[in-house]
Amino acid sequence: MRKLVWSLVFFFAASITASAQTAQELLRDGNGGSTDNVLTYGMGYHQQRYSPLTQINRKTVKRLVPVWSVSLANEFGEQGQPLVYNGVLYAANVKRVVAVEAATGKQLWMTPLEWDAAVARVVCCGLSNRGIALYEGKVFVASLDAFIRALDAKTGKELWKTKVAEWKDGYSITSAPTVANGVLMTGMTGGEYGVRGFVAGYDPETGKELWRRFMTAGPGEKAYETWPKDDAYLRGGASTWITGSYDPELDLTYWGTSNGGPWTAVPRPGDNLWVASVVAMRPRTGEIVWHYQWTPAETYDFDGNNENLLADIVVGGTKRKVLIHADRNGFLYTLDRASGKLLAANPYVKVNWAERIDLATGRPVETEVARKLRAGEKVEVQPRWTGGKNWMPMAFNPKKGRIYLPMLEETSVYQLNKDLPVYKAGERYMGVTNTTADRKPGEPWGYLGALDPLTAKPAWRVPLMEFPSWSGMLSTAGGLVFSGLPTGEFLALDEDTGKVLWQFRTGSGVNAQPITYTINGRQYVSVLSGLGGGTSSRRGTTGKVQPGGSVWTFALMAD
Amino acid sequence: MAGSKAPGLAAGIALAVLTATASAQAPGPFLKEQVKLGADIYERNCAPCHGPRMLDSQVPVDLRKFPPEQKDRFITSVTKGKNQMPPWGGLFKPEEIEAIWAYVMVGEKQ
Repeated sequence: MRKLVWSLVFFFAASITASAQTAQELLRDGNGGSTDNVLTYGMGYHQQRYSPLTQINRKTVKRLVPVWSVSLANEFGEQGQPLVYNGVLYAANVKRVVAVEAATGKQLWMTPLEWDAAVARVVCCGLSNRGIALYEGKVFVASLDAFIRALDAKTGKELWKTKVAEWKDGYSITSAPTVANGVLMTGMTGGEYGVRGFVAGYDPETGKELWRRFMTAGPGEKAYETWPKDDAYLRGGASTWITGSYDPELDLTYWGTSNGGPWTAVPRPGDNLWVASVVAMRPRTGEIVWHYQWTPAETYDFDGNNENLLADIVVGGTKRKVLIHADRNGFLYTLDRASGKLLAANPYVKVNWAERIDLATGRPVETEVARKLRAGEKVEVQPRWTGGKNWMPMAFNPKKGRIYLPMLEETSVYQLNKDLPVYKAGERYMGVTNTTADRKPGEPWGYLGALDPLTAKPAWRVPLMEFPSWSGMLSTAGGLVFSGLPTGEFLALDEDTGKVLWQFRTGSGVNAQPITYTINGRQYVSVLSGLGGGTSSRRGTTGKVQPGGSVWTFALMAD
Repeated sequence: MAGSKAPGLAAGIALAVLTATASAQAPGPFLKEQVKLGADIYERNCAPCHGPRMLDSQVPVDLRKFPPEQKDRFITSVTKGKNQMPPWGGLFKPEEIEAIWAYVMVGEKQ
């Protein structure tokens, strides 16, 4: 398989000009490639968000200072991860894509993303764009109205634009696209609007659709047995709103899928594959090679989209190629990523809907809370529907074998409605009444923490009392973990203790994805600031934190 | 709205206005069916941001305190959108937006 991958790499590398960003560079990003570049969502196809850079470390971080900041003129919120190539930093939000000099912040070009304001009606939970993809001299970006575009990386000029789906039917896109094995892929969102989830593959050169793999099984597929024998699968949810990871040796791309549609599972009895699952697909065809379902018969709004992080760790004395995933449902999973076999699953926050995940069957053992809920009673559910962790990605330090993640601890009051929801295109399709239980005084909203992926045991946890964190994490070989807070602080924590070693208050809330890279041997850290992008991330902040997007870049103060 | 005392003061004024209008020019009257229709539309489309039953709002607007004398502003904002709120005029008929107004005015008041 390795030979095949490298043959393909050679083929693609040979077919393009030397100045363009290549398939080989994508394979080496976060994997021994130049630290001058950040080319993939997740800082590597594995999405470990780990950097070997050490210039900024536990000792030097006190000299970390902002070197530039630029406005992104956006009040919707910033969740994106910038990419860096050849000294140019590319960043996106729902309104525009910008390219700036990474060392100075000087703007090179800006391309607006125009969409009908009414599109916001079909975006459930905050208007967002989590980033872009780079490949062969092109910047790829999806827009809220479910189009995908290729821009010239040098000028920002639009090269092609392809409609992915019809927003009036509830489809939109908030995730970054990705290029794997020469295919440009995008997910979509709309799980609250009775959509049929899918991942689609495109020719990066022309924008022509190559394949579309639906994430609810239909007639003629074996997995259709997990659906009622009607057309519920057509509105069954399973959207794909977080960018998939990729293992080039196995040639598998791993995508998570969202909640079922409608939220209430009553009109769709069965496990409903591939709702609330991870699917391993061939990027060339969209063929599903294996799947694992986090939450069978999902009715909690426990989307299973969060990042599927790939790592090689020792399990039971043997080094295994695994996939690590902290699900909204409150369990932290480790799977064998070649086969999909479950290796470990442990609660990482308070969980009351399931006692445990049965390692033999791979299925959750549901509790009395779940039985009452499914019977129509009003119950308190932990985690809240927003999950033990939401979209904000964790980081993994391969030297320490730990994951670093933000955790949420809240309780919902949740009931399936007696009246089943009626589907109307482009409107919410839910059938649930859900509110938030009062938090007890003195209880944290959640934590920033370092966990063992196999046991979920924390090395440390920092309680978050004022607000929870909705920021992604970045781990570095300098012994630091970077993250952010809704109140605007960008933080550097000691990876061994969680102690805040450094902080800087940016212009608005930090709920994005920090990156680090080098230019001429100097290490930089960049992060977007701008409260929002998710309505839940703004809870409780009204009047206390102002919105407004910007890019911030930091480096050690020169002598 | 700078200063720690301002929100409380503003709330006090809003309450006074509401009380005054309640006796002098109370909104409505609204039909029960109209309020029910408004509640249904609200729950499906508005609650995700403005909170279930107008509680636990995730945006800086508390609809329970919306001034009754500013119906035109309400109808315009819902129809055409405002700030981060999308325009709903393309989805709802004018009488449905009237129903949302009815629900916001009296639907959650005891």
